[in-house]
Amino acid sequence: MIRLERRLEQPWWLSVAVPVGSLAVAFAIMAIVLAATGHAPGHTYRQMLEAGFTGNGAFSATLISATPLLFTGLAAAVAFRMQLFNIGAEGQLYLGAVGASWIALQLGDRDAGSTPLYVLAMCVAAGILGALWALIPGVLRAFAHTNEIITSLMLNYVAGFLITYLIFDSASYWRDVSTLQALSFPQGKPMPTAAEWPVFGSSLVVPLGFLIGLAVAAALWLLYSRTRFGFEVSVIGDSPRAARFAGMRTRRKILAVMALSGGVAGLGGASQIGDFTYTLDPTGLQGAAFGYTGIVVAALARYNPFAVCVVAVLLGGLQNAGFTLQGADFPSGLVGVLQGIILFCALGGELLIRYRMRIGRRARTRTESGPTVEPAL
Amino acid sequence: MSINDSLLVIVLAQAVLYGTPILFAALGELLAERSGVLNLGVEGMMLFGAAVGYWATQRVHGPSATVLLLAVLVAAFSGAAMAAIHAFLTITLRASQIVSGLALTIFAGGLGLSAYFGSELHLADLPAAHQLGSLDVLGLADFPVVGPILFDQSALVYGSWALTALVALYLSRTRWGLNVRAVGEAPASADAMGINVTLYRYTHVLAGGALAGVGGACYSLSITPSWVSGDTLVNGAGWIAIALVIFAFWRPELCLLGAYLFGALSALPFALQARDVTIAPELLYSLPYVMTIVVLVVVSTGFAKRRLGAPAALGIPYVREER
Amino acid sequence: MGDETPVTEANERGAGSAGASRVPAVRMAGITKRFPGVVANDDVGFEAATGEVHALLGENGAGKTTLSNILTGLYRPDEGRIELYGEPVSFHSPREALEAGIGMVHQHFRLVDTLTVAENLLLGWNKPRFWLSRRAGLRQVREISEALHMPVDPDARIWQLSVGEQQRVEIIKAVFRGSRVLILDEPTAVLTPQEASQLFTTLRAMATEGHAVILITHKLHEVMAVADRITVLRGGRSVSTLPVADATPRSLAALMVGREVELARAQEHERVPGDEAVLELEGVSARGDRGGEALDGVSLHVRPGEIVAVAGVAGNGQRELAETISGMRTPSAGKIRVSGQVLRPGDPRSAIRAGVAHIPEDRLGTGLAPSLSISRNAALKSYRSPPISRGPFLVLRRMGELAVSLIRRYDVKAPGPETPVRNLSGGNLQKLMLGREFEGEPRVLIAAQPTRGLDVGAIETVHAYLREAAGNGMAVLLISEDLDEILALADRVAVMYEGALVGEIEAGAATIEEIGYLMAGGRAA
Repeated sequence: MIRLERRLEQPWWLSVAVPVGSLAVAFAIMAIVLAATGHAPGHTYRQMLEAGFTGNGAFSATLISATPLLFTGLAAAVAFRMQLFNIGAEGQLYLGAVGASWIALQLGDRDAGSTPLYVLAMCVAAGILGALWALIPGVLRAFAHTNEIITSLMLNYVAGFLITYLIFDSASYWRDVSTLQALSFPQGKPMPTAAEWPVFGSSLVVPLGFLIGLAVAAALWLLYSRTRFGFEVSVIGDSPRAARFAGMRTRRKILAVMALSGGVAGLGGASQIGDFTYTLDPTGLQGAAFGYTGIVVAALARYNPFAVCVVAVLLGGLQNAGFTLQGADFPSGLVGVLQGIILFCALGGELLIRYRMRIGRRARTRTESGPTVEPAL
Repeated sequence: MSINDSLLVIVLAQAVLYGTPILFAALGELLAERSGVLNLGVEGMMLFGAAVGYWATQRVHGPSATVLLLAVLVAAFSGAAMAAIHAFLTITLRASQIVSGLALTIFAGGLGLSAYFGSELHLADLPAAHQLGSLDVLGLADFPVVGPILFDQSALVYGSWALTALVALYLSRTRWGLNVRAVGEAPASADAMGINVTLYRYTHVLAGGALAGVGGACYSLSITPSWVSGDTLVNGAGWIAIALVIFAFWRPELCLLGAYLFGALSALPFALQARDVTIAPELLYSLPYVMTIVVLVVVSTGFAKRRLGAPAALGIPYVREER
Repeated sequence: MGDETPVTEANERGAGSAGASRVPAVRMAGITKRFPGVVANDDVGFEAATGEVHALLGENGAGKTTLSNILTGLYRPDEGRIELYGEPVSFHSPREALEAGIGMVHQHFRLVDTLTVAENLLLGWNKPRFWLSRRAGLRQVREISEALHMPVDPDARIWQLSVGEQQRVEIIKAVFRGSRVLILDEPTAVLTPQEASQLFTTLRAMATEGHAVILITHKLHEVMAVADRITVLRGGRSVSTLPVADATPRSLAALMVGREVELARAQEHERVPGDEAVLELEGVSARGDRGGEALDGVSLHVRPGEIVAVAGVAGNGQRELAETISGMRTPSAGKIRVSGQVLRPGDPRSAIRAGVAHIPEDRLGTGLAPSLSISRNAALKSYRSPPISRGPFLVLRRMGELAVSLIRRYDVKAPGPETPVRNLSGGNLQKLMLGREFEGEPRVLIAAQPTRGLDVGAIETVHAYLREAAGNGMAVLLISEDLDEILALADRVAVMYEGALVGEIEAGAATIEEIGYLMAGGRAA
């Protein structure tokens, strides 16, 4: 008979071995699915590896896919660690993009040396709008105890409609109405050239957004592990009553964490505009599901900021390979299926970290007073 | 112009049409949540059900009614299969219900299994072989006002009414329904009374998946009817269904009303456009979502919570021997 | 709790059970059950006969509830066997135990709050038809509750009932299912002394009617009042089984703790309390979680060096009182003063800053964050200022040092400062919390149910700490359900009933009878 017992201690190596192990299991399962549907798994994986990492320019393309995931992954991690389930990173990213493109257009055409100004302004504007969008569910949660999962989710749709409206159904500031073609086929105004964010490196091209993301990850790690803010977050996330007992201001924390989470997601939107699209592109943003994938990234990374960086690159590679290889030969939907399987395996693996399996009846235990017996023996 | 061509009647008739998939999915999610398990994968299950149902109509040959019935059943089965993954992860392996549900949406959704399935079988290229058309019930389809709304709908719609009544009676009047209510409120007490918590949770989550599959089939077999890759076929109806359950205080009768309300709001933009009324369509599209937020806020504030609240054990894995 | 038990009555009871059926209704032999880190039952055996009230006596942590959970099918024993009426049985689920005729009334009721009484009775029941008609359920409930002289409204929802009424529902539920063996786990914990004796009458009646009644308790006077035979459990083992006629409170207590023990007497206090009250409550009222008035105009004061105990049956506002003083609950009226300064209502920080320390009755979950380490929990009150933090940053080294120092000074048994606190035993949790609170050198200490669930050694340690705290000039407010503890520690005893303070007695003049009378709502002379 197999029984599950809660572990008393969690050895650190388990936190690494299990996610890695679940990745391996996931790929194995996927291989079976591929084989069953007539695709050679080895060939498919090799193609994916090449398209995602090893091929010419592949890793650079992967970083392009990874950058938004880095931001939305961090956004999710920030909130989920305090048991605040912010599903709204998707919409917060859109709002960030709106803010970033607005300020870039406002600043107008300046000379090339003023790029840092653009970068700074876009990040600030994006962060603010993303934070504000996240504060809506935040306020509702803090003051009306409304479940933030549904509210943040609903706002994703509203945000999507908003950006669609701005480009497709209005003559808004963001819309390009300068040419006849632009009027017939709606698109956003192009950013000033100086507003395009720089890239680094030659054979391996690193977008500025990715570097900003790494910096944000480091800052978040510092915040959560070395400051009073982070201490309070860990207590509130574990036991809101204990937090109240200790005099912590839970409501303020909820607002702060939601704003932080939304702000980081918003930065992802700024990066989309500044690094890649140079214009507000509702169709592209909505088709990519950055926000939801970010949650997957955060969960796989067990909400650790540095792990998020690694996982974002991995999943970015997967994403990239999926786009590159898309065609008659390569199965569509593979990316989602694989991501799903990876996540399922990771969730299952989580069990092994928290619990230990005992087979049979013998259990070596200490006899003296052991773990607390609550409520009462 | 007869009254049946008026905006009101058209919108209401469409409301019923568009509301039905949401109703199916919501009733399913309601059952799952009543047993204490939150399943956020509704959208994914609906998409997969839509794909599988469509495939069934392409592959099975026979009289239309039989094929369609079979297709619906197959769609239900596929939804349940998806839900089984979530059930296993959250009930047996005690994983986080939220993450697991989201994973299911990604796995089964528009960029996942339903797309995989659809593209492997080239479903997008196939025209609809069978379609669930409207049934003219009792010949009253043209009756003023209520005719088009109540008597000119597809079999799925009428099925959904029967289902609503069934679920309502199940929960309030049967032994099993009483047991599942206890499981969702206080699994420890239910367990002590000899109720098999695990079994009830599994069955209700699977039932939830089955109904979500049927909801998805509504689109590919009735409303659209065809199959397209990606999310647009269902377009967020799964998420609305989740919200609807809360909106309806976990009561089936209110799910019916709420589903039609949402359906009306989805139908309104088209109808208005047809009359050259220029309101930005996005504004109307956003209405259901904003309304859900508003209603949620109202439901969450204190008073309502105790009397109209969620099953108390919703979202928490049940562990019997944990100390 | 006096030594005077009517010896004749006890003798008669003992004689009665000797004439009862030879085949025991329940027999448990060699039962062993282990959990991670602890052996809850170690080769335990006992038997109960039909027509008998058999008491399972033991202090908190002796293994009584685990044993009963095994008997009712919730847990499975690692070793041992169970026999019902001579037949060996093995239960794989609570349902099997229920069907075999074993019914249990738990300490924490297994009722579903939002369902009605009738619905609760019908849960999981095989017999009625699939379709539940409203009227059938009502009729059955009424029949049984009248037969047992325990009136209850079948349509009432559980959350609307009082605790005593809910317990009645639990008993009716057991009888309704045809239980021949009835187990009650600490049933009087939530009753007034008067309600408790009513319960005992019911239990004796049920025994006479042919049930086997097993009473799990840690209260000596209960056992002497109602049981026929007593099995004493200690440290997971069954120590002795004896008829009540052969037992005295003193001998039972000795069996429970394994040594001759001095039954609690009011202690001689060497402390002289100061003159000015440190903690003053003036007309404090507060609303409870369910909307009603939990505190009703409570006025109270505690002087430095004084231990004031608040006695009362659980649920009369004690928890709300502790929460209101410590700022976790906002009062609806009244003022709280510490050293003359009025505390900001509903603000824990204001209380903490004023020097109010609080040991809540909910240890893991309110007083401590269960998954976090000892060092984080140790810093829970002090993390806002140096040396634990400098500016917005934490000095982790100092946090660790604080934790290590607390572990050492207060003898907290733990592998290390980074251990999650949920792994600690109740006694160690309590020591950790006391250490943490004392670290802040508080002026006022509120200790709510500080020794609940602890073994005798830990209880003595906690009592010693409380006395020492008072000796050092702290004002101690002790909230406790344990009258023996109260009489042992307090200088003054206040009694709470339905949210109001109904009497204050100097320790020297206090007796159990008087306090029990006040606890039941009697007015002081």
